Amino acid sequence: MDLQAQTNARSTRILVLASLLCAYPGIDATGQAHLDYPANTYVLPTPDPVMFPESFYWHCFERGIDGILIASCGTDSPYEGSYERLAARINRVYRQMKERGLDIRRLRLTAICSVCTKAFVKEVGDLARVVEELGPVAAELARGPEPVGSESP
Amino acid sequence: MADRGSEGSDRRRIGVYVCHCGGNISDVVDVEAVAARAGADEDVVVAWHLQFMCSDEGQSTIEQDVRELGLDRVVVAACTPSLHETTFRRVVARAGLNPYLYQHANIREQVSWAHVHDQAAATEKAARLVEAAIAKAALLRELDEVRVDAVHRTLVVGGGVAGLRAALDLARWGMPVVLVERSNELGGHVLRLGRTYPTDEPGRALIERLVSQVRDEPLVEVRLSTEVCQVTGYVGDFHVGLRAVREETDGHPCDEEVEVGAIVVATGFRDHEPARGRYGFGHPRVVTLADYQRRLYAAEGEADPARALGIDGPVRAIAFLHCVGSRQVEGVDEPGASGRLNTYCSRVCCTATVRAAAETRRRFPAVRVVDVYRDIRTYARDQEQEYRRAGEAGVVFVRVPTDERATVEPAPREDPYPLLVRTRDTLTFGAELEVPVDLVVLATAMEPGPVEDLVAMTKAPTGADGFLLEVHPKLRPVESAIPGILLAGTARGPMDIAESTTSASAAAAKVATLLAGDQVEMEPFVARVDLSRCRGSGECVATCPYPGAVGLQDVELDEGVVVPRAYVNPVACKGCGACVAVCPNGAVDVQGWEMSQYLAMVDAITADPAGFPRAIDPSEVTTG
Repeated sequence: MDLQAQTNARSTRILVLASLLCAYPGIDATGQAHLDYPANTYVLPTPDPVMFPESFYWHCFERGIDGILIASCGTDSPYEGSYERLAARINRVYRQMKERGLDIRRLRLTAICSVCTKAFVKEVGDLARVVEELGPVAAELARGPEPVGSESP
Repeated sequence: MADRGSEGSDRRRIGVYVCHCGGNISDVVDVEAVAARAGADEDVVVAWHLQFMCSDEGQSTIEQDVRELGLDRVVVAACTPSLHETTFRRVVARAGLNPYLYQHANIREQVSWAHVHDQAAATEKAARLVEAAIAKAALLRELDEVRVDAVHRTLVVGGGVAGLRAALDLARWGMPVVLVERSNELGGHVLRLGRTYPTDEPGRALIERLVSQVRDEPLVEVRLSTEVCQVTGYVGDFHVGLRAVREETDGHPCDEEVEVGAIVVATGFRDHEPARGRYGFGHPRVVTLADYQRRLYAAEGEADPARALGIDGPVRAIAFLHCVGSRQVEGVDEPGASGRLNTYCSRVCCTATVRAAAETRRRFPAVRVVDVYRDIRTYARDQEQEYRRAGEAGVVFVRVPTDERATVEPAPREDPYPLLVRTRDTLTFGAELEVPVDLVVLATAMEPGPVEDLVAMTKAPTGADGFLLEVHPKLRPVESAIPGILLAGTARGPMDIAESTTSASAAAAKVATLLAGDQVEMEPFVARVDLSRCRGSGECVATCPYPGAVGLQDVELDEGVVVPRAYVNPVACKGCGACVAVCPNGAVDVQGWEMSQYLAMVDAITADPAGFPRAIDPSEVTTG
């Protein structure tokens, strides 16, 4: 089975890590307003996305999550300094993604408040378009990073 | 399969219940198919779909199954957990299970209501979310609420109308209260209000009545000219340092310490002060609404507007300007001293302004009154009548385009009026207006009170607007994210007197519930250290923002070697999980939100319908 056939056989999946105090009720409110967003979006609530180590993101990508939206409270987080810690961690994940040849647009750090319905629809829609453009993550992981010096002159 | 903890490694006995929600879910999601997929899981003993899981019938079905089928975990797929997670935890507890062996899947707000146009995709998503919930449920542990001995005394910070109301309510619940107020008198802003809405009672009278009741309460101890200088401890047992307000307080030690079980923050708001020159502010004929109200009501019998309002010169025309410092827009308004724009609506000023405008017309019929607004938001019950009455009283309304601002300038010396208000009016199709007036009244914004020090001491968060942040505006509107710290009145955001006192009563009721027993009971979602994995790196201690929540202590191993190991103080831990991510050995978890549970959910979401992992093994990929 060639790569294209394997990848096409599966639809893409997006994971949303939603802060319980801000984004999760915001995503609920999106549904209450009957605002559509891609149905391949799976929301996991979390006390705060700061809890996920770098390895968690790799577990997700390696298992076939094609895009991850971190829906945090942003600077409105009730937990002191958590957004800054989270942002620093995501920067480290971005570096690792580049090293492994993964497009960093697959991981998106956002702040979604408890009434930010349109913001959520926009963010998850943007990510869905990126994932659609890039295709399944497995193919990218399989390709690995571009060999050094392979760029066109 | 991931480690299933102390509950054993045999197959689980999970019951799964998929709710139709009377069609709210089942009109979009094929609930029968979802239940069938769930039933195929080896850990699932029974999978039902019912009309209303929250109904008596639904609840008793779960109870009966737990007892008769020996279920050890329960999953309900229904509406958002915000609505019924607690309901179903209670059901599980009634059936004899630990209430935390329950997992909720949200397939209404996050599936059927969001994907109404794609029923097949909605069903697939619902099925996967239920499978993820089953995967997590299999790894759930029995948990116990965190309990701490409760000090039956409360500190109320702020002696305005909200603080007074909270103190009074607490005393009437039988709770001793220490009420601290920075200024040398009780009453706050309301004390200086001429008339209050809707009763027309003078602000001073309202406060005097409340203060008299507070003074009569033996359980309330009032400390004037006092401020909070230190806060340590946690819900049930806060240690709060107090000191007398001095001209120079920086570095001055606290005078005394009080021990309290909870803190009600009722620090109020600050009036917005426009930049000098903005809307003519600084001109002697430009006053704030609060100032105007004081003048208007101070001389009730005076028929001459100039004498009544204390204006040197005739008063023939007055302009009221709304939204001064509120609903600010980037590129149109300038940030204030805080450096941020007040993008929020101050809510109470529209009603206060139209009332003052109407009262002006009633008292001084010869005075022309122009009300210059962007939007009128007389939002509460009966307040719309005030807007109507103002119109009937002859107040002329002028509507400014939302991206423009009226300007106020001194008129040329030869003009008969000292000020000119210039604006466009959308009510007259954008006509350019120039309104000559004797007086301009600015309806200024409510801004966050001086809470910076308190925020630094308590770690209670503020929102982007600078007001103290509640956990949730609708579901937990008087609780801060710090257990035991409650929010009352305008410390939380703009609100009127009725709303302030209602929120104060709500905060008092919360405290009364919290401290009712000998112990405070809190949810068990706090960090937990797995000592078999901990190597004492101290990373968790270094990253935790909450003093005393995580620490290292010496532990003696079997062979007599003493090593440092992490521990968690569950009453000081806020459950944010910052420590989880930094532990190099994966030894820390937040109870109820364990990393192994997340990994299991991700695996369930990404598994193909046959249960095989979805990920492609790169070694199997043929790229040629």
